Amino acid sequence: MKLGLSKRKEEKAAWGLIAPAVIVVGILIAYPTILNFYLSFFDVRLDGSRTFVGMDNYTNLLSNPRYYASIWTTFIFLLGSVTGSTLLGLGTALLMNKDFPFRALVRTLIILPYFAPVISMVFGWQFIFDPVNGIFNFVFAEKLHLIPADTNLIGDPKSVMWVLIAFTTWKYFPITYLLILSRLQLIDKSLYEAATIDGAGKRMCFLHITLPEIFFVLGTTILLRIIWNLNRFEDIYLLSPQIKTLSVFIYEQAFAGVIDQGLAAAAAFIQLFLAGIGIVYYIRKVLKW
Amino acid sequence: MRKIAKNGMILVLLVAALLPLSANAQKETTDTIEPVEIQFWTRQTQSERQEKIQVILDVFQILNPDIKVTMLPVEDNEFSAQLAAAGQANRPSLIETSPSFAMSYSNENIVDSASNAQVIKSIGQDVFYPGSLNNVKMNDGTYFGIPFHFSAQGFWYRADWFKEAGLEPPNTWDNLLKAAEYFNDPKNKQYGILIGTKPENYTQQVFTHLATSNGAHLFDADGNLNISSPEFKETVEFYKELSKFNPPGPQNWRARDYYIQGKMAMFYYSTYIMDDLSLAEVASASLTGENFADLSGGAEFDENLVKNTAFSPLITNTEPSAYGEIMTLSILKSEDARKAEAARRLAEFFLSDENYIPYLHVAPGGMLAMKTSVLESDAFLADPNNVYTNYGKEKILEIASGLGNMQDFLNKDGKVYPESATILAKNILAEMLYNITIEDKDIDDEIAAAEKEMARAINN
Repeated sequence: MKLGLSKRKEEKAAWGLIAPAVIVVGILIAYPTILNFYLSFFDVRLDGSRTFVGMDNYTNLLSNPRYYASIWTTFIFLLGSVTGSTLLGLGTALLMNKDFPFRALVRTLIILPYFAPVISMVFGWQFIFDPVNGIFNFVFAEKLHLIPADTNLIGDPKSVMWVLIAFTTWKYFPITYLLILSRLQLIDKSLYEAATIDGAGKRMCFLHITLPEIFFVLGTTILLRIIWNLNRFEDIYLLSPQIKTLSVFIYEQAFAGVIDQGLAAAAAFIQLFLAGIGIVYYIRKVLKW
Repeated sequence: MRKIAKNGMILVLLVAALLPLSANAQKETTDTIEPVEIQFWTRQTQSERQEKIQVILDVFQILNPDIKVTMLPVEDNEFSAQLAAAGQANRPSLIETSPSFAMSYSNENIVDSASNAQVIKSIGQDVFYPGSLNNVKMNDGTYFGIPFHFSAQGFWYRADWFKEAGLEPPNTWDNLLKAAEYFNDPKNKQYGILIGTKPENYTQQVFTHLATSNGAHLFDADGNLNISSPEFKETVEFYKELSKFNPPGPQNWRARDYYIQGKMAMFYYSTYIMDDLSLAEVASASLTGENFADLSGGAEFDENLVKNTAFSPLITNTEPSAYGEIMTLSILKSEDARKAEAARRLAEFFLSDENYIPYLHVAPGGMLAMKTSVLESDAFLADPNNVYTNYGKEKILEIASGLGNMQDFLNKDGKVYPESATILAKNILAEMLYNITIEDKDIDDEIAAAEKEMARAINN
């Protein structure tokens, strides 16, 4: 009886402790999400009036073939950019985990792209690939004659996705690198020594020691990168708005010109729903949490 | 920097001169009335322009101590989003925006058309450039804005090159195509023309000008979508042909730098370009977009560029057409009557001759006067940067003369097509042109797809 009471007290105390967090999360996340869902059934005008339109916003969006094209574009972009930044981050972290002169300096320089403002990076890349004055064409077309003189990699619809994937990979791999490196440094060196004594090569060590040790960090960075890149807008829109990922498509449908707040709410809700399914699946099946 | 200081000085002197006049009014009002606070949103986002406008606003507030004005510069693309975010409570009382935006806000029922009409009446309907009031009126005669300033658009071209080649000015479709083809030499980094091919508003502006010169419009006289008309398709085909002589890849207005660098024969632009062509310090931004010193050959400022550049604002295929953008002031609805009154007073203040000219001089070339008497006045033509002086009065008036022939998709034969504002705001035309010129998609398919998209946008 006494134990039961103290447990209830403990529970009460626990609720008391987490109550502020629950309230803050409720205000910051639950309320806007519910309001967004509610607004998705209305035509919201700038004068503040709302007209109930039922499922119109959803049917308007889901009957647009360009919406599905943008989902496919987003998938390609996610596949390329998440794979690219993860592999580059992993490779760099493995390299930077070894001792070599000026390692601290190199480690610092590597994270620079992540901290540089997007706008200046995007303009830098645009100048690099400028078909008339850019250094890329100067080197590869004029000097080495490897590509035609009028190549416009950012402008050409066939190559622009590759440039975007390269840009996103380059800009965001440092965060993957930092997280993996911090986990790599915690791995007990004696594990490698024991494996080497047992005759394991570098490949075996990587597959059976390094990879299992960093699995959860790697899994989490991939998950975060998917979420971040799914919602990424500014880099894509600034570099090449002709790439219609979901975020760009929704911006143009709902925010270009006159704001269609109801449509925007519906689009955001669908995106949240789809991302939610994907994330739950990933957490359950891949990370097995 | 010296010029900013000079402009600032002029305006400070203006304040000093007007101060005694306002002293009595100030004394009466400051003690008793809490100032009404209003917001003025402007599309002039450059800090240099804001500084100059702020001085004008400071003068206004000194003369009107019962009004406090906060200026907020807002990018074109952000205007509607910011308005939605502001809600009713923080809605600006006065905005400076394009007619298509103001028209769409009128559709959203947030424009105070009665106040706009009151300002126009108090300034005097006949002082505005003939016909310009039609550009700020809805079909029911209500005013969604007040004409403020305008920029003409057309093809700027190297008159010296054209003369040497024996080519006619680019004022007809035939002349445009002939010259673009003649001067295009991509191997030597020389390009024939610049028209928009990115899915942006600039592309729609160029297309609108060419379409109206061929009698094409988005809607027929009965208000039905009409982009499958032969005139429209013909314009699209011509646009695609012309785009072959553009610099490679999708382009927007920024590629005008190639012209300033001497690498292009003509480009489509508004009169905002006038200071870039005539002032070395303004043009410098267009000359330093180089990444490699070896590539910068010929990229020094060409002092003869103004003299060797001519402007072709009137384009003809089946009919002559001029195009440009009239910027409007628009008073937005407010539940507080004091705010509406304050916005009216500010609009009238901006349009009074002594303040109107300093405001227009914020961006010489880009802000031509809508009041006929001001446009022709020596005070207006003597801007502090000497841009108008460099061009000469005759040339300025010739450029401004396009205003009389201005055509666009918002109006035709005195009828307003408010749905055009939605279509243009959604960039549907620009998307279509990008798909056709850059992605090489079928013209008929794209026109059909754009028509569906337009119907979706206006029925939504």
